Amino acid sequence: MNAVIAARDPALPVQCENLSKRYDTRTVLQDLSLAIPAGAVLGLIGRNGAGKSTLIRMLLGLQLPDAGVAHVFGEPSLRLSDAVKRRLGYVPQQPDALAWMRVGDMLDFVGRMYPKWDVAFVQRALQRWQLAPAQPLAKLSPGERQRVALIRALAVTPDLLVLDEPAAALDPVARRELLREIALRAGESGTTVLFSTNIVSDLERVASHVAFLHDSRLVLNTPLDELRDRYARLVIAVASVARIPQRLPGELSRRRRPDGSCAIVVARAPHEPWPALGGDTRLDLLGLEDLFIEVTE
Amino acid sequence: MDADLLSIQPSAAEPIYRQIAAQLRRLITSARLQPGEELPSVREVAAHHAINPMTVSRAYGQLESEGLLERRRGKGMVVAESRRRPLSDARRLEQLDTRLAELAREAGELDLPAALVLERLRALLEK
Repeated sequence: MNAVIAARDPALPVQCENLSKRYDTRTVLQDLSLAIPAGAVLGLIGRNGAGKSTLIRMLLGLQLPDAGVAHVFGEPSLRLSDAVKRRLGYVPQQPDALAWMRVGDMLDFVGRMYPKWDVAFVQRALQRWQLAPAQPLAKLSPGERQRVALIRALAVTPDLLVLDEPAAALDPVARRELLREIALRAGESGTTVLFSTNIVSDLERVASHVAFLHDSRLVLNTPLDELRDRYARLVIAVASVARIPQRLPGELSRRRRPDGSCAIVVARAPHEPWPALGGDTRLDLLGLEDLFIEVTE
Repeated sequence: MDADLLSIQPSAAEPIYRQIAAQLRRLITSARLQPGEELPSVREVAAHHAINPMTVSRAYGQLESEGLLERRRGKGMVVAESRRRPLSDARRLEQLDTRLAELAREAGELDLPAALVLERLRALLEK
């Protein structure tokens, strides 16, 4: 347990050590450590209820952990200075702050608090996403409200952009636009992005890193390119199951299927061949989605 | 060259940067892209396909180190004007590697003898 909150590297946008959280008897997060390098776009996948939102809130100091510490740009998350807060753009899952205001008024109000507020961007985005400034936020559809929340976070020109399931309420066109925005900011301004999502193909487009949250732990946390082409599922027919070794090199999981065959997920080192089992074995390369399903099932 | 000349499949097992590199290589070696022709900027490709610009950079960088692309001041990346050595058979063959490996694997699953597959392949190639 970390009793001492020491200063951390201010160049590291966000990091945590040994974060733990329990809701009543349920352990949501256990001993979780993570460091997101500057300029990275980290996609966080996890089943619904796995604790993605909790993790994000604790990273930003919006929720108290039971144990462990989190830092943003070197400062303890629970005591962020205004200077650091101004470098943050955050879109929670159900944005409803200032819901009584009208779109235009809310953005004006918020904008006054941020020195790097991009007014031109706000106007362009409102137009492109067809949002009327005079509309009260409470009267917008969930998708529209999410879009306004996104504009609000992006207009800050943040150094760290944190999005909790940003695409959940968006249609495919709006989603693609959002990804475009993320991709460009990450590339040009070196913005660090953390977003949680269950839309795996979105992640495959823009993420540089991916992390799986499962059973209160980070099961996987790697650069995306390293992950592709490295995981496969070997399916061994019933007749051959008996002769396979207890544990294959790089084995991640193994399970018997209803028909008696055995499915083994293996990871190989780059440029290494797949384990050769011969006989009645099928090899399926696993994309991100399949890998996630296999590992978390 | 237009960014939409490239086709990206985010869910394929092959990393996006390799997809891009492979497609560009084919476009260049088949002369669909001419020497001196300008490639779209990293930003343009990233924006068009909504992908991480680092991915595009990586693909461009790879082709630059292979001598297929050159960086021109004020112009960005262009198809290399002069290749001192034409791409050898071995190098061009490499581009088929992934699919040949896939073919070999499927043939194995279907329990087909190599001789039979090779015969069929030869027939297709000689058409």
